[in-house]
Amino acid sequence: MKKIFLFIYFIICLFGYFAVNAIAQTPSIDATSSPTIAVDKDIQQLKDKIANKVSEIRKQNNRAISGFVTNVDGNTMKLSTDGEVNQVKFDDSLTKVFKVLGTTKKEIKKEDISKNDYAIASGVVSDNIITANVVLIDENFVVDSGKITEINKESYNIKVLTTDKSTYSLDIETTTKQYMVNIKTLLLETIGFSKLKEGDTVHFVVKKTGLEKDNNYSATKILIVPQEYFIK
Amino acid sequence: MKKETIIAVFFGLLFGGVVAVFISLKSRDIELAKNKVIAPPEEKVLSANLTGTEMQPLVLTEPSNDAIFEKNTIRFKGTAAKDSLIIIQSPIKDLVVKNTQEKFDFEFPLALGENSIKIVVYPKEKQFRPQEKFIKVYFIDSEL
Repeated sequence: MKKIFLFIYFIICLFGYFAVNAIAQTPSIDATSSPTIAVDKDIQQLKDKIANKVSEIRKQNNRAISGFVTNVDGNTMKLSTDGEVNQVKFDDSLTKVFKVLGTTKKEIKKEDISKNDYAIASGVVSDNIITANVVLIDENFVVDSGKITEINKESYNIKVLTTDKSTYSLDIETTTKQYMVNIKTLLLETIGFSKLKEGDTVHFVVKKTGLEKDNNYSATKILIVPQEYFIK
Repeated sequence: MKKETIIAVFFGLLFGGVVAVFISLKSRDIELAKNKVIAPPEEKVLSANLTGTEMQPLVLTEPSNDAIFEKNTIRFKGTAAKDSLIIIQSPIKDLVVKNTQEKFDFEFPLALGENSIKIVVYPKEKQFRPQEKFIKVYFIDSEL
């Protein structure tokens, strides 16, 4: 009988040992799980840092170029501006092409791009080739200023001499926006062609198609600073 | 010669002189009104003592040329001569401002795509040449 009691006691002790061991192990599981969460957080932070760095580097390497399309061939396009030629590479899975229509844009296909279009390409530059994320087909504007040297009241044309000694011939159309600086208030006032005077300073915006002759452009907008401002 | 004749000649010359001065002044105004190119008045050129005067150059700290923006407005920051006239022109905006302080900070809108912008500073002292800067910046919508 005594032996049976000892045996049962031994069994209870054994169960007790296992039970204590099991309880003791539970916190040890908690202890190991919290470092796992911490490691996950670290990995996430590292991932975020890498993503930010990649984004930064992409932004740093991101460039935009523009020019008239001289050649579109499969997945490449050549843009020419002031004698400089740049090559643009299309990535079928990445590159989007839009046509700018005033303040809005419309997505088009790269096949819709034609020679002499004015294109702006933005993307990462590598080995002088830009892999375009975005290509915009837009209009090219020239913004410049100078002095009016000649006014032709019959053909509604003015000649402008810029500070770099270039002479522009500007046709003032009915659609041309014409403004003059009020020399007292400095506000802009809408004017007509008759208000233009030789010797006035003119700031102008013209559309450039690349096909102009003799530096003759149709003026989109002119802003006159009257000569009285400079002699007051 | 009679005394009356001398007086008549004297008054004739006097009157002629007055008329000549009047016509001379008036013709100058007419010339200005007729919009001819007129040089700055001589007295102003002489009165301006520019010896040793250095003009504050136009310095544009923002934006940089060829910069790409994801927003349709930017800020022009920099320094230019005090009381000069600053004109900033782009195809979509003309900004004419008197630079009351040397530092300037203007908000300027951008069109989608390429923006050619010219900045010209006309100094208050008209004898100085205008200063110019030309930049191209790009507004590429982040949604694209």
